[in-house]
Amino acid sequence: MAQNRTITGTVTDKEDGKPLPGVTVVVKGTKNGTQTGGDGKYALNVPSGSAELIFSYLGYVSQTVPASGNSVNVILQSDSKSLTEVVVTALGISKTKKTIGYSETTVKSEDINKSAPVSMLGGLQGKVAGVTISNTSGSPGGSTKIILRGYTSISGGNQPLYVIDGVPLDNSNIGSDESYDFGNNSNDINPNSIESMSILKGSAATALYGSRGSNGVILITTKKGTAGKMVVDFSHATTITQVASVFKPQSTFGQGWDGTFIESENGNWGPKYDGQMRPWGAVIDNSQLIKPYSFIKDNVRNALTNGTEFNNNISLSGGSEKTTYYFSYGNVFSDGYLPSDNDSYKRNNFTVKAATTIGDFNIDGSVNYVSKTQRFVAQGQSISGIGSSFYEDIIQIPQDIPIKDLRDYKNQFFNVDNYFTPYAENPYYSIYENGSRYRSDRIYGNVNFGYTVNDWLKLQFQQGADVDNAGDKQWHNKNAPSLGSYNDGGNVEGSKRAADVGRVVEESIKTFEYDSKLNAIFKKTFSDFDLDGVVGVNYNDRGSRFLTTQVEDLAIPGFFSLGNSANKPTSTETERHRRLFGAYASATLGYKNNLFLTVAGRNDWSSTLATGNNSYFYPAASLAYVVSEAFDMKSTPISFFKLRASYGETGSDTDPYRIFDVLNATNVALGFGNIRFPVAGVAGYSIANTLNNKDLRPERVKEYEFGGDIRFLSDRIGLDVAYFNRLRVDQILPVPIDPASGYLFQILNFGKVRVRGIEAALNVKPVKTTDFNWDLTYTFSRQRNMVMELPAGLDKVIINNAYDADLVAIKGQPLGVFQAPGPEYSPDGKIVVDATGFPVVAPTNQNYGNIQRDFSMGLTNMFTYKSFSLGFTLDYQKGGVFYSGTADLLNFVGADVKSTFNDRRPFIVPNSVQKITDANGNFIRYEENTTQITEGLVDDYYYPTTNKAMVYSNRILDKTFLKLREASLSYTLPKSIANKIAANRAVLTVFGRNLLTWLPESNRTIDPEVSNQGVDLASEFGEFRTAPPVRFFGASLRVTF
Amino acid sequence: MKKINIEYKPLILSALFFLTFGCKKTLDINNDPNNPPIEQASPEVLFPSAVMGTAGSVGGELTILGGIWSQYWTQSNASNQYKTIDTYNLTRVDFNGPYDNLFAGALADYNLTIKLAQAKSDWRYNLMGTVMKAYTYQVLVDLYDQVPYTEAFNGAANLQPKFDDGYSIYVGLLAEIDAALAKDFTSPLTADQAKGDFVFNGDMDLWVQFANTLKLKMYLRMVNTKSAEAQAGIAKLYADGANFLTASAGIEEFEGTPDNSNPFYEYNIRRLNTTTNIRASKTLTTWLEENEDPRTETYFDEESPVAMHQGDFAATAQDQPTYANATVALQKATDPVWFISESESYFMQAEALERYFGGAGAKAKYDAGVTAAFADAAQDGAEFIAAGGAYEYKTGGSFEAKLEQIIVQKWASLPASGHTIEAFFEQERTGYPKTSAVYSTSDAYIPGEWVYAKNGVTANRFPKRLVFPASSRDRNKNTPAEVPIYTKVWWGK
Repeated sequence: MAQNRTITGTVTDKEDGKPLPGVTVVVKGTKNGTQTGGDGKYALNVPSGSAELIFSYLGYVSQTVPASGNSVNVILQSDSKSLTEVVVTALGISKTKKTIGYSETTVKSEDINKSAPVSMLGGLQGKVAGVTISNTSGSPGGSTKIILRGYTSISGGNQPLYVIDGVPLDNSNIGSDESYDFGNNSNDINPNSIESMSILKGSAATALYGSRGSNGVILITTKKGTAGKMVVDFSHATTITQVASVFKPQSTFGQGWDGTFIESENGNWGPKYDGQMRPWGAVIDNSQLIKPYSFIKDNVRNALTNGTEFNNNISLSGGSEKTTYYFSYGNVFSDGYLPSDNDSYKRNNFTVKAATTIGDFNIDGSVNYVSKTQRFVAQGQSISGIGSSFYEDIIQIPQDIPIKDLRDYKNQFFNVDNYFTPYAENPYYSIYENGSRYRSDRIYGNVNFGYTVNDWLKLQFQQGADVDNAGDKQWHNKNAPSLGSYNDGGNVEGSKRAADVGRVVEESIKTFEYDSKLNAIFKKTFSDFDLDGVVGVNYNDRGSRFLTTQVEDLAIPGFFSLGNSANKPTSTETERHRRLFGAYASATLGYKNNLFLTVAGRNDWSSTLATGNNSYFYPAASLAYVVSEAFDMKSTPISFFKLRASYGETGSDTDPYRIFDVLNATNVALGFGNIRFPVAGVAGYSIANTLNNKDLRPERVKEYEFGGDIRFLSDRIGLDVAYFNRLRVDQILPVPIDPASGYLFQILNFGKVRVRGIEAALNVKPVKTTDFNWDLTYTFSRQRNMVMELPAGLDKVIINNAYDADLVAIKGQPLGVFQAPGPEYSPDGKIVVDATGFPVVAPTNQNYGNIQRDFSMGLTNMFTYKSFSLGFTLDYQKGGVFYSGTADLLNFVGADVKSTFNDRRPFIVPNSVQKITDANGNFIRYEENTTQITEGLVDDYYYPTTNKAMVYSNRILDKTFLKLREASLSYTLPKSIANKIAANRAVLTVFGRNLLTWLPESNRTIDPEVSNQGVDLASEFGEFRTAPPVRFFGASLRVTF
Repeated sequence: MKKINIEYKPLILSALFFLTFGCKKTLDINNDPNNPPIEQASPEVLFPSAVMGTAGSVGGELTILGGIWSQYWTQSNASNQYKTIDTYNLTRVDFNGPYDNLFAGALADYNLTIKLAQAKSDWRYNLMGTVMKAYTYQVLVDLYDQVPYTEAFNGAANLQPKFDDGYSIYVGLLAEIDAALAKDFTSPLTADQAKGDFVFNGDMDLWVQFANTLKLKMYLRMVNTKSAEAQAGIAKLYADGANFLTASAGIEEFEGTPDNSNPFYEYNIRRLNTTTNIRASKTLTTWLEENEDPRTETYFDEESPVAMHQGDFAATAQDQPTYANATVALQKATDPVWFISESESYFMQAEALERYFGGAGAKAKYDAGVTAAFADAAQDGAEFIAAGGAYEYKTGGSFEAKLEQIIVQKWASLPASGHTIEAFFEQERTGYPKTSAVYSTSDAYIPGEWVYAKNGVTANRFPKRLVFPASSRDRNKNTPAEVPIYTKVWWGK
């Protein structure tokens, strides 16, 4: 045999000149080969006479180089990404993107973390077509709502499944309610540890998740170690948080009611501002405060403060060819815009990961520990008799009273006895004296065993676990105006404020999820055909336990313990447990590397459905055709062209315990308050109000999708378009039934909801030079939603409601129509009024629009000049309406701009008639209305207890907005400077999130994104006196050593 | 390669085998650990729940409605809570709570109580359940005129029950009571069972009295429109020597703690931010003051309450400077809720005696009624009924004059009864207290006469019922067409 020699060399990346590790180097025509190391270097023993070496690396154009001399250095150029881009698909299987026949979007760590968000989705708003991400909370650590391709589930299971490194992630928010938002659990993930996120929207993409895949899946791949010397990444961000937008009150009328200045009123129904000095509030020791009777600009904004947020991360990673490791620690402290740190969020994330290969076996595993502490100031409606709510109290301060001065809430003029009104409380009292604390300790992770059977078959077993042990405490202090004080009837109106008896709530929340799967993954080539796929089984076991105990009426004020009361604590326990078996298979057949057919199917067996009725099969098929590979398009400007078509079915099994009928421990609801058993030593059980159903089937989604991806001019212009048609049938829902049936709800499978839509993403690089790059991405999506069928006999289903405004599903209309009382009209379209001149309520509810957007658009713009990059993202959501509980209260207190109609002088309802009837109510005729709404009743015109017919149009508002979601300016420090601190790379960024918000003229009330109604369909109802949103300004430093 | 094939195939096959045969047990975890199965229901746990359900609605929201419509109280001008009631502006979306809770709560539980009791021939729970069911139904019929009865409580088998007319329901309920009374229910309840009878602590004699008094009440309701049937029914009660209530029937067991209090108190005081919505109405206070009736102390905690004219909440401070200090109705967390009070029993007997038995003994019953009413208010009524007293029963006048005395006294007895709605029904049935042609601000106003609320929206027509609730209208196509709130119910005068 001929003599061997060793060829050495370095492989570098053409783009940045950096060494490329992991490049495969083989001698052409042989199996003799090696890989480059962490420094891009290789050494290969080459038999003499070997002519050429092949250098190949995923995502780069392979090069064949003559094997001449002892040193061969190669520069690899990245491939047209569209041909080689590898993405993560269902079950964590990596595939070349061109082979998949459905829409998939990958977002990278850099996009996720550009503006240092604390939650993993906080940096993606407006960036992905068909994905709606809303921050529903104005408090640190609050919930994030994600909806892929709009709503189809009426029962409100529309949140996607999160899968982290192959393991489903718990995303519950069990401790949260309308008053307290402790965030959903997906917010626990440290965004800095994420390598990429793959968003699978359609059913063909998610069919392998079967009965958990119907709302799309977000696959999260976390960072791991790579071979080479230890890499240390460090990042720090300091951010200022402040309120993004607050309501804009009318500025003409000041404190009072019925046109009269009354110093104890909580309304803005007084006379016009005149700028005169007037005493206000209580008289104490013969003295009283004075201030000008004039509108205070930015009163609400000035009542709030700037908070700070710190976000620190460090990771260490590295390893050898066989074994890699990764360790990271992240620390977040975030304080919101309320004074004090009673609205704050602290989180510590630890991650340890390791992987090793021993012969044909590989083992890897990760353990993550998250500890978090969140403090939240109650929002929404006050809990009557217990304590008030900051956001309700702040609205009930007339706009001539300086809110920020009240912060001194123990001051003799602002304290419990002498606060200026008995109808509300000093808002700062509820910040400093009431509160909540949520603590959680969570561990999640997985272990994987892999065995490479041969060159076409691999076996994998994965065991994942996600266990959370959380608890929270909520407290309200006790207070009461002292006997005879200003607020105990000593005010000019003689009104007394009820005592707040105080309360302590202790909750324990435990969730667990264990997921096991065994996969056989195969990949084989036969001449023109490639076949790859997976066969596997899955077992999932998950559940929760929620225990809440509370006691009302504290004995010792300010001491918050369950024992501190003359009353006995009451406790409720809720356990939920479910299991799921699945068996699945998927195979992709490729022909000539340009036509790819994938078929997949999964059968699920669910514990939540009745035995014998719990096995369901979900099929899917998709086709990808890479036209630009099938035909030579080199002479055209088209650099890549692919067409996609797919069909898939997924499902959603029901919640546990909906099969058998039960009794409930008796709780007599009074409207306000309850009578709860036991009573007088007697236990009580009552037939549950919901009728369960033994014949439930899982909800099923059937979806087809067509799309294409076309790129021009060497990918300088790229357009990805998808059209989808999703039909959800057999919806499972507690359907309201006539109470005379003995029940209020029945769990039923019924109905169909269809959503059709298009999604488009256009990427343009107008300028691409060595020094200057300009990159633009525009996304557009439009979804048309339609309720096709409802249960027999029902023309609508109520999804959510408040104050007689209903969010309903109506056949033939988009899912989520607002219906509320409206005025009765005469046949010629005039408003019918009653004897007092107020509009009469029509016998049926009126439509006030629906929740559906006309369309959504996002624009991300990025300039890169040498070491600088400047980017911003705009998010525009057009159309749809929401209910505002803030508007409701603003109208009540006369702060809403709309409440200044006719300068508040007496008026006759425009274009109105009186309906003349006989004594039995039989119609005689219409007569022109001449009855005025008198001055004393003008305020009543804006409140439902007196004018139910007209008030809803002032509180159901347009939810259009345009937001500057993100802006950032980054500077990569010159290597010479970075090297001085022993770093390879250092990037300095200043950024902002949620910087500017434009709302339509008709909404001067609140950002329509916020909600305290959860994070699903019901939250589209709107908000009920929710905290306004936050904006962030900050600077970050990222250093890699 | 073949060899390896053999290694993984059994693995997958055994996994599939496990799935098909092993999963049945593993998946059988769907029994609710939080709530017992319905098969475990017993009269012992259902009946107290249902009774509390009746008390929660009748003694809660409906007593607010009854108290304002019977003009004991009126909405404060400094707050808002009950303006819709005080303007007669109630629509289908109002008062769904009591409708839902009485049907899907109390009545559904009575229905199952009766079913279970009959299945094991426990005629004690059968009687208790039937009487309470009839009482609860009577309130609903009187409020809504028609409700589902024959097709109610069939669950999934009938989601859209038809509505029955009020008279048919009355006939059906009376027959149910008679059937229950015909059984042998003499074996005593155990101590635990008796404790669960909040109304009479297991005393079946008192349940019989309650049944008879309820029958008397229902027959009296029929006097305007089914007079022959009313007379026959009452004649039979007397012929059979029926015993009527000599003690109030209801619940006294409220502990006064949160979630365990008088429902009116829990609703209006403990759970509202403003506890001063309900103020004294001139209609009641002028009458009490004219008669120097000490019950002002009981109802308002003041000898001379400051009152507002009915429904005059829009008056400004200049118009009515005293309204700022208008007296708030006295409420306590431990106040009882009576279903039928002792005095009511006597007043009904007095009316029956006047109507059908020539008035013999009516005065004694009237006097007993007034005495019991004063006693209930912790006052002494002796001098009022004595000769020359303000409430002396005047036997000389016409039947209507005597009826007016009886019903006005009943009206005055009910403000603190926990079922003020009865006073509203009785006014609709008898026309007493009379309605006033002028508002109470007028010099011509006669104390105690009902005035049309200042801001009423029904053009001088008093309310006579509630409109069918949205919870029925939206879900049941058999819900009858909406009837205006001022249309009288089937027995109305």
